[in-house]
Amino acid sequence: MFAVLGDSFHVACQHYDLFPKAVGQIIESHDVKELHLSLTQGLWRHDKWGYPVRSSPPGAELWAWFNETPARSIDESWANLVNSLSGLFCASLNFIDATNTVVPNLSFRPSGVVRGDERPDQDSVRYASLPKENVCTENLTPWQKLLPCNSKAGLSTLLNAIRLYNAHYHTLTVDVQPVCQSYPACTSTVLRLTQSISVVFRPTLNAGHQQWSLQSLFDRPLKGPCPLAVKSYIHVDISNESISLDYTLNPPPSKVTSDDHGKVASYDVAEMTQGGKANPPTLHAHRFIAGYGQENGGITCMIYNNDISNAVDVVYMETLPWYVRLYLHTMKIKTENGTDVKPDMLRFVPGRDRGRPYLLELMFTLPPASVITFSIQFDRAFLKWTEYPPDANIGFYLGISIQKHMFIVKVCSHQCQFTIFCQFYNSTAAPRCILAIKFKQFPRVEQFIRIYTEPLLLQLPLPDFSMPYNVICLVCTVFAIAFGSIHNLTTRRLDYEKKKETIWMKVKRRIPFLGKKEKKDSKESKEEKKEDGRARDASSTNEDATGDAGRTKEDVAKGTKVD
Amino acid sequence: MAAPIILTTVLGTLARIIILGSRYTQTLADRIELSTPVTSWKLMTEGVFLLDHGISPYEGDNFHQPPLLLYLFFVIHKTAPSLIPLVFLFLDLTTAFLLYLLNPFSILTCAAQSTSIINNLMIASTFLLTLKGQRISATLTLALASYQSLYPVMLIVPSAMHLAFLKMQERKETISYSSRTAVSAILFTVGSFLIWYFILLGVSYTMLESWDFVRSTYGFTLSVTDLKPNLGLFWYYFMEMFEHFRIFFLWVFQVHAFIYTLPLAIVLWKCPSFVFFCQLILMAVFKSYPSLGDTTVYFALLPVWSHAFHYLRNGLVISVMIVISVVLAPVLWHLWIYAGSANANFLFAFTLIYSTAQIFLVTDLIFAFLRRSFSLQHGMKALKPDGTEKLVKLQ
Repeated sequence: MFAVLGDSFHVACQHYDLFPKAVGQIIESHDVKELHLSLTQGLWRHDKWGYPVRSSPPGAELWAWFNETPARSIDESWANLVNSLSGLFCASLNFIDATNTVVPNLSFRPSGVVRGDERPDQDSVRYASLPKENVCTENLTPWQKLLPCNSKAGLSTLLNAIRLYNAHYHTLTVDVQPVCQSYPACTSTVLRLTQSISVVFRPTLNAGHQQWSLQSLFDRPLKGPCPLAVKSYIHVDISNESISLDYTLNPPPSKVTSDDHGKVASYDVAEMTQGGKANPPTLHAHRFIAGYGQENGGITCMIYNNDISNAVDVVYMETLPWYVRLYLHTMKIKTENGTDVKPDMLRFVPGRDRGRPYLLELMFTLPPASVITFSIQFDRAFLKWTEYPPDANIGFYLGISIQKHMFIVKVCSHQCQFTIFCQFYNSTAAPRCILAIKFKQFPRVEQFIRIYTEPLLLQLPLPDFSMPYNVICLVCTVFAIAFGSIHNLTTRRLDYEKKKETIWMKVKRRIPFLGKKEKKDSKESKEEKKEDGRARDASSTNEDATGDAGRTKEDVAKGTKVD
Repeated sequence: MAAPIILTTVLGTLARIIILGSRYTQTLADRIELSTPVTSWKLMTEGVFLLDHGISPYEGDNFHQPPLLLYLFFVIHKTAPSLIPLVFLFLDLTTAFLLYLLNPFSILTCAAQSTSIINNLMIASTFLLTLKGQRISATLTLALASYQSLYPVMLIVPSAMHLAFLKMQERKETISYSSRTAVSAILFTVGSFLIWYFILLGVSYTMLESWDFVRSTYGFTLSVTDLKPNLGLFWYYFMEMFEHFRIFFLWVFQVHAFIYTLPLAIVLWKCPSFVFFCQLILMAVFKSYPSLGDTTVYFALLPVWSHAFHYLRNGLVISVMIVISVVLAPVLWHLWIYAGSANANFLFAFTLIYSTAQIFLVTDLIFAFLRRSFSLQHGMKALKPDGTEKLVKLQ
């Protein structure tokens, strides 16, 4: 059972903290006061298993109380609520309609707090059940998503779908109801979301022995509580301890409470899972990508030195593919209080497009008990469409291709540090070994640790892979516009528009029996053409004579006359 | 007359100082519209840093600016790093005094500390010195501009033509480029340009003692290996191009950027300065890494040809296209890269519009120029017998 109090969300400003936004919005928009939903597979056998933690019928059951509003709008809200929940939990709740909805009068009472002077209006409750509803993983996943830690941490990590749906009975429930914000003075109410899951296992059925554990039930161990949880408990009902066979609980419970109804052993998850954690070693490191968007970004590596008394010399190596364009001038090495650490040595080999990766090697000293933050900025390159892998949207893994991301040399003194440095450089940059030779009288290498950091997943900006033909066509069109226009302007001359012979005129000219008048016309136009040609000849000779002075006014006048 | 000049000077300087002093400098320097891999200030900083650490910036593929520029900034960085914004301010203001002051593109480019500022200064000086007939200094500035970004090489043609033109005018000869005076003037100009250019290359070589920089600068500009988006036509085309056609189209596109020199020089032989201007626009469209900074010089020179504006046909369309693309391109870049709600096609569409607008501008201007020359020769208006105006067409 998981309970979340809704005091952390404010509907007005749409701010949700732990209370799931999906549920909060449904409650808000449909004016719901209380909501109870259960999705169950199997029937609870009271004779064998006693009373359940929360009763629920086989299939789906939904009942809700609405705030006092006219009956008609309640019916409308109910229909909308059913559809919203249907979508939220991937269940076929949408089969709930007027034919299977009832308004019970006696059987249901609000289970949350009701103000003292307020008598619940029995007309504002709606109830429906769908006995045929099948419950499966697709309902479990959205149900788990409502939990503050999802299925990532805490008790919910135990919910292994394979084991749950092999059980004799299981039910998922969601209850939202108002509860008092403070006890005993109940001045205001808040919403409480209770999610519960009930599963019946018979772990001893085929095991051949009577032992069971969380591991045997769920096929998973419990690693710890959800960090967001205030309380995280496992309760074991041991009421029949005295009458049943002998058994022991191992490990012993944190506390045992008993009253008239029975006896319960409780385990505090936080307390039980506290021990057993290994302390991190003296040196460890984490690397991650910083920044947002797909234009640029940064790589940050935090290197921890937990040794309280000794400074540690470190060689840091970063190799990144060419499409992560590193900017060395943005490199910063800082201690936790913000002072710069100057690297003792630096080697940077810039990458080449489609040629070689970037290589950065640094040597610096980690002060005792310190955290050094190394950061460097990069630009993301834009690749050709054929250079992307088939699943380009996943991103590119950085740094798994090269044998070492980073290695750290831990040495006793400066002397040996240089010896190692020389060994490392022997193959590539022999001259730098001079330093080492100087100190070689102390060849005492104590420890040599290599630490690899996490590979990083980097998203690169993507082109539209379906566009090559379109892009080629569009760009070539733009080029053609430029080329065509300039070709036109530079190879042709500006001149007065001439009367163009239309096709119809041509036809009439070719066919003699189409009337004399037309013929005469065409003759005239021919003559006109001839004359025009003569005029042009004249003007061109004139132009030759006067050089660039162009046509004289006379010519212009002539031209007009001719036309 | 003096008051407006003083006002624009003060306003222009103030605008630059305010933006350079604000925290937006870094943001502007990262903008794809303002900084390209060949002009980016971030890459220049990286180059200076690498040089400082004894690593040749030309060894990798992350630095594409010529060595002299690198050493200039290296020296400034070493002696007084706080002076760098002032250097940009000074360079841009110098260009501004030659050309423009309140052009927002130029203010932003200055604030982004893009090295295209220097290129603009060189081109503007070339234009000015060519008009004044200063052959040696004009070819020096042109050589510097070409040394930095290669494409201005083609400006040698109008520049040489204009210098020859001035010479012939001086000697009161008839204008003919095949005359003895013209040929010798052209040869002198080209020769002095080549000498300057090789001196620059030689100095660079002696500083670095390797030719690596040629591959990193001109090789990079020509082979377009970095496909980072900009306002040009290359990036998406070569991102989406099929591998075995890449080299072919690379040649086509790069040759295409240069081919207009010849036809324009032939048709507009009477006005080499207009050829110079048209080539500035064509360069801003067809170079491999264009930015908004490339438009500043020709926008400033646009009013020089205002007498031809009467014959412009698409003025409104062009201005709307430019405004739309300049406003929406950053929005769509954000949607693609940061919000993840658009894809590359959105930005690409607006870079297409931006390029098309400039192409319309240059072709429209050439038309207007030719149409005006035609009117000068044939009279402003020619009427048909029925009183309507005769249409003038290309034929």
